[in-house]
Amino acid sequence: MKALFWVPFLIIPAIVQSNFILSIFIFSFILAIAAVSFNIIFGFTGQLSMFHAAAFGIAAYLTSLIVSYFQVSFWTALVPTLAFTVLISILIGSICFKFQLRAFYFAVVTLAFSELARLVILNWNSVTNGTLGLMVLEKPSVWMPGAGLLKIDGVFSWYYFSLAALIITVALCSLVLNSWIGRSFAAIRLNEDLAQTLGINTFRYKLLSFTLANALAAIAGSLYAFYTGYIEPAYLSINQSLDIISMVLLGGSSSIAGPIAGAFVLTGLPHMIELSGEARAILYGLVLILTILIMPRGLIGTLVGLRRAA
Amino acid sequence: MLLEIVELTKRFGGLSAVSDVSFSIASGEIVGIFGPNGSGKTTLLNLIAGILAPTAGRILWKEAEIEGTSPHAVAAGGVVKTFQNPQLFMELSVCENVAIATHLRLMRRFGMLRTLELLPWRDAAREAEMANAIDRVLALCRLADVRDRAAAGLSYGQEKMLGVAMAMMCEPELLLLDEPASGLGEDEIRTLEHALRDLRDAGTTLCIIDHKVDFLGRVADRAIALQQGSVIAEGAPAQVLRHPRVVEAYLGRQHARA
Repeated sequence: MKALFWVPFLIIPAIVQSNFILSIFIFSFILAIAAVSFNIIFGFTGQLSMFHAAAFGIAAYLTSLIVSYFQVSFWTALVPTLAFTVLISILIGSICFKFQLRAFYFAVVTLAFSELARLVILNWNSVTNGTLGLMVLEKPSVWMPGAGLLKIDGVFSWYYFSLAALIITVALCSLVLNSWIGRSFAAIRLNEDLAQTLGINTFRYKLLSFTLANALAAIAGSLYAFYTGYIEPAYLSINQSLDIISMVLLGGSSSIAGPIAGAFVLTGLPHMIELSGEARAILYGLVLILTILIMPRGLIGTLVGLRRAA
Repeated sequence: MLLEIVELTKRFGGLSAVSDVSFSIASGEIVGIFGPNGSGKTTLLNLIAGILAPTAGRILWKEAEIEGTSPHAVAAGGVVKTFQNPQLFMELSVCENVAIATHLRLMRRFGMLRTLELLPWRDAAREAEMANAIDRVLALCRLADVRDRAAAGLSYGQEKMLGVAMAMMCEPELLLLDEPASGLGEDEIRTLEHALRDLRDAGTTLCIIDHKVDFLGRVADRAIALQQGSVIAEGAPAQVLRHPRVVEAYLGRQHARA
């Protein structure tokens, strides 16, 4: 049943010819991966990680730099990037969870690590080109049966490529969240002390949640860098983290569909009504405040509630 | 001995909550620990359950030292604790609460891979085991009628029973109960006693702390009295309750002399 949800997305490029609109879809797909993955640690496990944009940005840089330095493919570069993301997630997660940092303490410490990463990238001029950022000229290729090795270049191929990445992310997340792992995440979110006395290794599950979220964010970051062809330190900024949090809150944090809906609205709206950076920030803020006041469960949460009531 | 406590001490700053406490619990018995408020009962259970680390002393579980072990590892080893103020997953239904508590049971029966449900096909044996276990425990704790109600909508007595039900679900060898009878009505206490005896008959060792002296006197095989963090009397419940130092601790010096 749920697979049917994706069918309209498969035929959209056949109906919509506008590159502009398709590129909004592509941005939405990629940012939806970031939002869905953030919701693993935030909505499902109940830990407000501020490291998400950092994982997204570090991976964007790392994959691009590895590709340009070593002249390898996108996929080859993605492997060490993911390995590095897993490693730093385990390191930072272990520090936070060993010291039992909860709620705001966890948010502040992960924010500190995130700023640390941003400052390193900002100031390591010889490698990252500082504030100016770097161009990413390579494009990923995929092997398609019948067509052979296909370069992902142009709006159509990027549309399907990023859509496939989102579908795989959602499938993986729903597998994990509907399993005992997801149940343990929920137990931690709802009552961590009780979860522990019931024999659930909360340290390990929180670490798993944090690592999985960051690894998927790393994939989103790498895709984002290669789609836009450009990387800059702002990818790691607190604003980027706040954008992702807004998407999750707008869509609703209790489902996988929520963050996807949030990503679509907040990516689509500013593009549809041509806005400057400042105006965009104001719109984000307004949408966030109104959502929290009117629909604390988010778009999807409210819709589900209405359907149950009917 | 199943559990041995040797010269256990816990200090919070200058305050000794538990000082130099030693006792042991044999397999299959019901031990009642009582004492006035502030006598260190809850701290003692938290030390055994791994929620607090002791300042000094040893805790031997089946002859292995477990002090300072994390709570989930202690629980996995067979020592499970309930909370004085019921700790529940308030947003979830009674049934879902108990379902989360099946974690250790499923891990023991089916191993990690089958418990985690990551396999793409349905595991009928695991699902049946889980459903049966939930039904049994809910019936025993008289919660079957409210199984689909949210935990937040339960009465205080039902909340307490749900706490016990979740602990039972973990199949503990030693169940530590922190004031299970406080705040319960007479009927509910009888249900509780019934459930506890059933548990003991099934081979579970129980350690109950409470200040309801008559309740402990009915269910416990052996009693230990604590005052200001130290053991002041130990033995058959009736004897311990008549012990002069216990009477003094509870009723004051004048009654002890009388």
